[in-house]
Amino acid sequence: MAASKASRIGEEIWKTRIDKVNAELVTLTYGTIVAQLCKDFEEDYPEVNRQLDKMGYNIGLRLIDDYLAKSNTMKRCSNFRETADMISRVGFKIFLNITPQVTNWTADNNSFSLVFDENPFADFVELPDDGRAQNELWYSNILCGVLRGALEMVQMQVEAHFISDVLKGNDTTEMRVTLIRYIDDELPPEDD
Amino acid sequence: MSAAIPSVACLGVIGRNKSATRLGQQLTKSHPQNNPLHISIFPSYDPTANAFTPIRNPLQFSLLLSSTIDVFDLRSKTSTASGDFGLLHAIDDRLAAYGFETNTGVRMVCIVDMRGRRVEAGGSGVAGQGGGAAGASTASSTSASAAARSSVGSVGAGLRDSEIKPVFRAMQSAYVRLLQNPFYDPDEHAPLGGKGGRRITSKKFGDDMKRIGEAWTPGVTTL
Repeated sequence: MAASKASRIGEEIWKTRIDKVNAELVTLTYGTIVAQLCKDFEEDYPEVNRQLDKMGYNIGLRLIDDYLAKSNTMKRCSNFRETADMISRVGFKIFLNITPQVTNWTADNNSFSLVFDENPFADFVELPDDGRAQNELWYSNILCGVLRGALEMVQMQVEAHFISDVLKGNDTTEMRVTLIRYIDDELPPEDD
Repeated sequence: MSAAIPSVACLGVIGRNKSATRLGQQLTKSHPQNNPLHISIFPSYDPTANAFTPIRNPLQFSLLLSSTIDVFDLRSKTSTASGDFGLLHAIDDRLAAYGFETNTGVRMVCIVDMRGRRVEAGGSGVAGQGGGAAGASTASSTSASAAARSSVGSVGAGLRDSEIKPVFRAMQSAYVRLLQNPFYDPDEHAPLGGKGGRRITSKKFGDDMKRIGEAWTPGVTTL
């Protein structure tokens, strides 16, 4: 499917089939979650990153069905490049109304970057000025988990992590997504 | 030939007024906190030295801000709905304090130096500022300074409240942005037990104040 067609689909679904919610509600709710996690884990930011990823994973497992129902694409993506386009132009579009750029493909087409020009989660946010959060906390890490969970449900095992964030003073917010393997529908482990 | 026009000498944000003291399980009394949350000081043009220096030292500015609290308290009994307190008091022939109070009781004070900046009467625009970081574009700052020049004659009469309004609107939206930051803990500023007074440490907020103070000149409508 061409990228432009994916954009059209995303736009169409966003306009007609999505219930909207106030952006500040989302931003403040997510911000509260992250801030509370930081408190609960006593500023252990790597652990906060893991928790966010885990929460995102659980969201992704559920969200994918909603995505498939709304996008009405019963057809599978034919390759990982198409998957990337659909993630950006349909997935991010309908849930967050943003379309991150898909760039920096590796030669084997198994790894790409999502560059976020805007990030509704990170509006208003300033990372704590304790000398560590700036280096260790990936504020929007929940998104990595969402992608990982959602793609796992459609037989793709991926690894996703942020490599830069404007909150840390980088020029862009960039997430790296790497396909590890396509999961064959495995038989449940036999109990001998 | 040059003329002096007003500029911001100091921006202050004063914490909310009431904080309860907790003894045992009972709230016993509430007493004023009025802790300074933020103070930004801007240098004024000094024609004798041809340089920019603050017109008062930080302690003096802090005292000037404290002195406005009484005016706020007096006026709050007959307060206007808008929160705009207008001119609080004229300190001397150069300095004047203007005030604004949010509905949550946070007070914002803008101390204006009536001769804090110099404009060339020829119309070359605002003479360089402290950091040289005029936020406004050249076009708008020249028109603003033209407007300012036309009101130079009436400096003694003070500024119209509407000319200060953009400052408070910008300060309020900066404060709102600060509160939206999930890592900023507003409770620290009105704690039970009365031990408050922690300042705003956000760099973004400080930068916003700096930008507002440097960009404002009479006639500017948005900051």
